[in-house]
Amino acid sequence: MSLLAFDGRVDEGNSSDTEPDELIDFTTLLMERQREDDCNDSWLDGNTDTNSKVQSQSYYNQGYHLGQYVLGVLDFSSQYGIDYSISYTAANVIGRPTKFPAYGDYPETFTMRTYGDWWLCVPSYTREIQSQNLPSLPTHDFIVVCFEKFVAPTEVAIFETFNPGGVVRIWAYNITKHWTCLWEAKNSDMIQPRNRSNYAHRDSRRFAPPLKATNVITKTLRIDFNHSQLNYYTEIDAIMLCGRTVSMRNMQQLIASASANVQRFDSSSREDISGGPITNKLRTLRFQPSCRENYAAKLHDFINKDLSQFLMENNLDPGQQLNSSASQNCLTDLPFEILLKILSYLDLMSLFRMGQVSRLFYDISTHPLLYGELSLKPYWHLANSKLLCTLAQRATMLRKLDLSWCGAFGEVSPTEFKKFLTQRGDNLTHLRLNSCKFLNASCIETVGIVCDNLIELSLRSCAIDPPLLNFSCLANLKNLERLDLFQTAFESELLLSMLEGNRKLKHLNLAFCGVSVNMDNVATHLATYNTQLVSLDMWKAHFLSARGLQSLARCHHLEELDLGWCLREATLGDSLHQLLSNCPKLKKLFLSAVRGITERDLIHIATLGKNLEQLDLMGILNITHERVYDILIHCTKLQLLDLSFCDSIMDHDLDVIADWSRLFNVDIKSSRIYNAR
Amino acid sequence: MHSLNWTSRLISRALRSSFSTLLDATTAGGAATTTTKGAAKPTPNRSRPRFVSVVCGFAKDNLRHKYKPGKYGEDSWFKASTETADVMGVADGVGGWRSYGIDPGEFSSFLMRTCERLVRCTHFNPQRPVNLLAYSYCELMEQKKPILGSSTACVLILNRETSTVHTANIGDSGFIVVREGEIVHKSEEQQHYFNTPFQLSLPPPGHGPNVLSDSPESADTMNFPVQEGDVILIATDGVFDNVPEDLMLQVLRDVEGERDPVKLQMTANTLALMARTLSLNSEFISPFAISARRNNIQARGGKPDDITVVLATVAM
Repeated sequence: MSLLAFDGRVDEGNSSDTEPDELIDFTTLLMERQREDDCNDSWLDGNTDTNSKVQSQSYYNQGYHLGQYVLGVLDFSSQYGIDYSISYTAANVIGRPTKFPAYGDYPETFTMRTYGDWWLCVPSYTREIQSQNLPSLPTHDFIVVCFEKFVAPTEVAIFETFNPGGVVRIWAYNITKHWTCLWEAKNSDMIQPRNRSNYAHRDSRRFAPPLKATNVITKTLRIDFNHSQLNYYTEIDAIMLCGRTVSMRNMQQLIASASANVQRFDSSSREDISGGPITNKLRTLRFQPSCRENYAAKLHDFINKDLSQFLMENNLDPGQQLNSSASQNCLTDLPFEILLKILSYLDLMSLFRMGQVSRLFYDISTHPLLYGELSLKPYWHLANSKLLCTLAQRATMLRKLDLSWCGAFGEVSPTEFKKFLTQRGDNLTHLRLNSCKFLNASCIETVGIVCDNLIELSLRSCAIDPPLLNFSCLANLKNLERLDLFQTAFESELLLSMLEGNRKLKHLNLAFCGVSVNMDNVATHLATYNTQLVSLDMWKAHFLSARGLQSLARCHHLEELDLGWCLREATLGDSLHQLLSNCPKLKKLFLSAVRGITERDLIHIATLGKNLEQLDLMGILNITHERVYDILIHCTKLQLLDLSFCDSIMDHDLDVIADWSRLFNVDIKSSRIYNAR
Repeated sequence: MHSLNWTSRLISRALRSSFSTLLDATTAGGAATTTTKGAAKPTPNRSRPRFVSVVCGFAKDNLRHKYKPGKYGEDSWFKASTETADVMGVADGVGGWRSYGIDPGEFSSFLMRTCERLVRCTHFNPQRPVNLLAYSYCELMEQKKPILGSSTACVLILNRETSTVHTANIGDSGFIVVREGEIVHKSEEQQHYFNTPFQLSLPPPGHGPNVLSDSPESADTMNFPVQEGDVILIATDGVFDNVPEDLMLQVLRDVEGERDPVKLQMTANTLALMARTLSLNSEFISPFAISARRNNIQARGGKPDDITVVLATVAM
């Protein structure tokens, strides 16, 4: 009360606009604010005593309604453009929409690397590890964005300016450090196949799905995308988060109560705390067996003798396994191996839940044979160090491990990961650590030292610079057949030495690596040491030259080659011709924006590309519709042909091309910017 | 081709090492939210200068070019303003490309639009207009739609924290700064030979060695402090080649210290109209005619060309 005297104002208790004078010192300011908040909390009973707080939910009704655009992008799985550019990159999601409501393929938007199913039909496709974990609409790409102010979200609006319909999930990162799913698409939400035609008229849209009623407070969102139903690239202009702001003090209350909850359940150390009907009933009954010593024996007695009676008394549904009559066959009568086989179809979460049923099922569900393949990618929001620890005890026969997207906000510690690898990593053949933010130098070292049987290593989107990550231990790996370094900075010398060391390399992905690595040297090395190469992705390797392309011609087994945005305007000379003659098995050839392609090159593609199934000629300057016809006639296996932004193809030819598309049964893409002005 | 390779390697390494395109915004935002409790702004508002700027111009060929905002024929301009800087720029597309079937205005327009977008990026450095031009030039490589052609460029940045102006000029566009009736700063025309200015260019594939292509690093840079009331004029060669300097000075002298954008616009219109009239006059001895004669070319009259005038005064 002395505070009031200090600033000379008399407060009636109900008025909330006692704005303190800025000249008052800090402590009084804080206490004044606290008094204010308490007044607001307890205005109902007029009690100004700071110790009695009315725990009403009305603190959500304070604050104002706010709509905000993205402040910054924290993470993304892929983007079309290269990271220093502002065209087709994730940075374009920041701020207000620039192009909406215009519809078209604009560079001022966020575009992802893939679309449709085309990347599933290529030689470099590899199936998901532990695919039974995946939901029916798996996530292909994601972006994590943050906003300026914490709000209780009421609406999330996504401005899609090209091929809308890719969003499948919206997640929010609560201040209690948990991810909550605010919205999930059902199969019926996705665009129907008949609307996928190239010529269906589409419009840009402001997509704001109905959110689940939750009480999260967040300023970080993650949007998940699924491209399988999309006709072409989907592009996002902006994301808007609308909600009610919450005061600092209420947020602190929430954080405090959440951590209290966590401690209460910590003793049971379960990942899934919901439990079934029996557990819930036991809790509500405050059931506590009165056993002072010898708990185990007493409990055992109870379960064997008294539990069925207890259940009947309380009208609970008796489980089949407690049925005293032995004449009925039940699940547990089946042999162990059959039960194991049945459980092998379960996803990881269900497996953990099975383990809570009974001792028998616990034994089966923790059997190492069920943990030969482990994927935490669909559970990225639940993965933490404790989970890794638990899994380490079970996964003694681990062969394939996928920890992609996990540990984004420090939930997985590098030490735990290293422990896991050291314990269980010796026999690993497939390791995927895409977008793993917890990786540091010693983690990579452990990978290199422990996992020397690796056949597949995927380190996509490891954004940390080479000096910090110390990839040099990876030079130990000698059996690699698949190496995926999409969007990861790698030192030139290390990459070259790895190529020399892994002669059996079949699939190599160096998309976006063209800045840190000299691609001509890589090409020469591939030609010398890795002639078994089947697929190569060099997307955006601007400085690849005709010499590099010529070297690639020596990899005769090449079936998939992605040279999008390579070579710039360099004249190709004879290099493409040589490549096509020497690699007859080529099925997928992407030459997006390789502006140096001449008409002769197009003729060669038509005559030599007998096995071509996917061909991307976006932005090539010299294509005429005669050349297109040539290609369609000669490449009989062609399924996809991308002719977007080929300005030499006149607008009136497009109808003819549409007819050809139907005639030859080839999906021809022809997006362009329509200048309405 | 060379210039583009070198420029983009430099830029990509610089940005790759910081990876700051995305994340700086968050840290800046984080700082902003924690200081909302009435902390004082870092720089007091009293002495942060700003531009009061207007634009006017004419396309050379009024019939062919429908008016589109941001360009006058093959010329293009941009203006952008952030908390830390005020930026203006002009670009003049080189007309020779028309005979190759390339629209010369596309290149200059793209350059200016991208500069405008880049000003808002986190990696924008108010002290290095050359970087702005270089990044903008590199963005050309990342466009799906192939953009070819070449243009001159002149970019001017007012750093509001330090009240200095940083400029970068490639080619024959330029700027003039007038203070108290005198020209205090002026850009220099960069030419390889007569009527062939330095230019940023992106030739069609295969024509690389035949085409003049200067790198952004060859831009002329100047840095100088400005005072309240300074008049800054940025214009393409359509103005400098047609309007003699003393006439320009007369017009600009009158508008020193002017803060009313309407009056400023009137002066810009006057200047542009002057340039247009003189350019179409076939008897008048224009500065273009004078320099042509210096190069042993008999010329007379004005030079018909696109005219772009960006006029600004510094207000504190």
